[in-house]
Amino acid sequence: VTDEDKSSETTSVFDCYYLFFWIRELCQQFPHGITDQVIQNDMPHLEPQQRAAAINKLLSLGQLDLLRNSSGLLYRMKDAQSASKMKGSDNQEKLVYQIIEDAGNKGIWSRDIRFKSNLPLTEINKILKNLESKKLIKAVKSVAASKKKVYMLYNLQPDRSVTGGAWYSDQDFESEFVEVLNQQCFKFLQTKADMSRDSKQSPMVQRNSSFATSHEVWKYICELGISKVDLSMDDIETILNTLIYDGKVEMTVIAAKEGTVGSVDGQMKLYRGVNPVIQPTGLVKTPCGLCPVFDDCHEGGEISPSNCIYMTEWLDF
Amino acid sequence: MTAQEVRLCGLLLREHFGEVVEKVGTHLLRSGAQNLRTIIHETGLPLDLVKKSLCVLVQHGACNFRSGRKGPGCPTEYQASGDRILRILRYPRYIYTAKTLYGDTGELIIEELLQRGHMTMSSTVKTVADRLTQNMEEGRSMDYSEVTSAFSKLVETQFLQRCPPMGGARNTKDTTPGTPASTALLTPESFPDCYKVPHITLIGRGKRRHSSDDGEDQKSAKKAKMDPETHGDEGIYWQVNFERFHLHFRDQAVISAVANKLDQTCSEIVRTMLRMSEVTTSPSATCTKPLSANEIFRSLPASYNILRPILDQYLTLLVDDPMEFVGKAGESGGGMFVVNLHRALANLARATLESAVQERFGSRSARIFRLLLRKRHLEQKQVEDFAMIPAKEAKDMLYTLLSQNLVQLQEIPKTPDYAPSRTFYLYTVNQLPTARMLLQNCYKTVANLIERRLFETKESKRLLEKSQRIEAILASLQVSGAEPEQLTEVEEMITAPEKQQLESLRLHINKLDSAENQVDETMFLLEAYVSSTATSTA
Repeated sequence: VTDEDKSSETTSVFDCYYLFFWIRELCQQFPHGITDQVIQNDMPHLEPQQRAAAINKLLSLGQLDLLRNSSGLLYRMKDAQSASKMKGSDNQEKLVYQIIEDAGNKGIWSRDIRFKSNLPLTEINKILKNLESKKLIKAVKSVAASKKKVYMLYNLQPDRSVTGGAWYSDQDFESEFVEVLNQQCFKFLQTKADMSRDSKQSPMVQRNSSFATSHEVWKYICELGISKVDLSMDDIETILNTLIYDGKVEMTVIAAKEGTVGSVDGQMKLYRGVNPVIQPTGLVKTPCGLCPVFDDCHEGGEISPSNCIYMTEWLDF
Repeated sequence: MTAQEVRLCGLLLREHFGEVVEKVGTHLLRSGAQNLRTIIHETGLPLDLVKKSLCVLVQHGACNFRSGRKGPGCPTEYQASGDRILRILRYPRYIYTAKTLYGDTGELIIEELLQRGHMTMSSTVKTVADRLTQNMEEGRSMDYSEVTSAFSKLVETQFLQRCPPMGGARNTKDTTPGTPASTALLTPESFPDCYKVPHITLIGRGKRRHSSDDGEDQKSAKKAKMDPETHGDEGIYWQVNFERFHLHFRDQAVISAVANKLDQTCSEIVRTMLRMSEVTTSPSATCTKPLSANEIFRSLPASYNILRPILDQYLTLLVDDPMEFVGKAGESGGGMFVVNLHRALANLARATLESAVQERFGSRSARIFRLLLRKRHLEQKQVEDFAMIPAKEAKDMLYTLLSQNLVQLQEIPKTPDYAPSRTFYLYTVNQLPTARMLLQNCYKTVANLIERRLFETKESKRLLEKSQRIEAILASLQVSGAEPEQLTEVEEMITAPEKQQLESLRLHINKLDSAENQVDETMFLLEAYVSSTATSTA
């Protein structure tokens, strides 16, 4: 062992720690990740094997993240917190956790985790139970298919498409809540229309004052305080749309200056209570118009006009 | 003609003309144009009865004849027109309209013409004058000239029209010289003198009939009066112009819809516009001729003195309304405005469909129905989201509507094999076929109501006969002068429960009658809508 060899050994050990430090610095400089090319540019005297060895060491210590992008491999600094979280978990768990993290707030189904990680089902289930007990992930029941459970990170808010938004509480559609809101909005618009009609001003003014913007209705509902959840203006607009489909309300869109209260993209939606165009039609004033067995009714048959019990009741009314 | 329509026509013919005419009429409706021999052979009725029934049908315009299709030597063929027979259901509405527009005189003229089918002007005037005189106090009588003027007014506004002369008939007033005996059916409007009132010499007053003539008059009421006098209008027969009445009903429907949706003043403006375009608009026009705001302002009724700028505001309101009753056609003359007739009819038909669904299935199903009408095609998930109805209930309602054929399903496959998991299923509502279906339901409903009425009458036939006999006895006793005790004795022959039964029977019949009229209103709207789409797409 010559002095040269000894010194080269010590330099290599010393270089290792120096390399770690240098690569970590580079990673912190480029938080999105560094490629091989970047390290090479920075330390041109470094040989590829030494570089590879340093990177491998850092990876196994769990201080670097290995990612792949379109141009090659990326190395990213793992932040200390997440590094501490995964301490004590093995690689499979890390992989599953990675996949769940990538799914964001929409969550991911267990079968999809299996596809992405190629792990057998039993392993997946064990890992998921493990992670749940460590309070790193949680299961959220999807509102679309009630048997499906999606997993997402523990501290994330589930997305609207999974929970259904303001109208669902615990996966149940709140129909009474919707009904109450429906009636309240309608009453608001109707009183506004009646007030404008009684004001006896010129017809244009009458019509314009009977309109209410969606923002006004939203404010009114918020002030009523009948809702436990916060409702956005979009929610109120869906309620007002159902009133349109009930034929009680009509809507127009007008151009509004950007910045006026309640305008979205330079437009405002106006809603107005209306009266029905015709009275209930003549056909439904007879029992035949409402009869559930209308198609089975023939003269001379079991059900016929002569022995129709609905008609008898209606005639004696 | 559909089966329901034929059934309804049969019932109407039976009620108004008897069973023999019903048999001949329904046979003609089912089999199309036929000649006399075939009719006799297939109905099995004797020749003279068939001839009389055909005469009755032709007299009322329900049957047309023309020379055979196989050549000039063929026997004449007869064809019944179901539409005309269905109009019988609407007679009360025509008579009531004539009463509101032209008073009692107009009402009686229309009634006489509806009852007789075709009549000359002079005989109509005489009959109506006699009837009016009958109801006046003693010593007063109706002058013929008043009735004649009412008749002329009806002709001017085109509620009455001349019957087209029959091909080959001996006509003293040949109004279209040179027309060959064509095999096509001619409409009354193809004759230029259709609405010309002939000059007749008719001076006199109505004759009051005395009670002794009552018995004779009942017999001769059905027969045409054999009047030896001539008044200069022989061979010119008049009939009621149903199309004109229908235009009037349609205008009324539009005006009342505007009054419901907006307010009274707007409906008055629309009424003025429609009145101004009564004679200038063809019956199948999509919208009226453009009217300038100045003209409208001048033609408003005097009681509605609104200022010109206010009128402009009202017109703008009407144009901006989503129902699009009134449209703007230009800027000259202060703005040119039209009434969108076809669109108004479509909106009214749509409102009818929605109301039918709402009453039958509930307001949430009506919400789904309106949603599909607006958005055309939707998936099931989208229906649930837009209508804000829980998934299970929405599914249930959609399937009920689908089973009743009010909603249709459109499949859009993603793959060439229609695999259910890879196909889009979209719900949709088609307004026109649904309107036709509802119209057929109306026909069936009216037929059911008529049958029930006949059934109820038949059930209580014995009781009705008894009450009629008792009334006759009472009347004859009163005329011959009897003491009050005899009268009360006769009256008590009907017991109290029987009286109650009669009373309830009367109520039932009235209820069924008024229900028939109400369904007829729905029928009119839907028929007008369907025929308006037929002309606009043709």
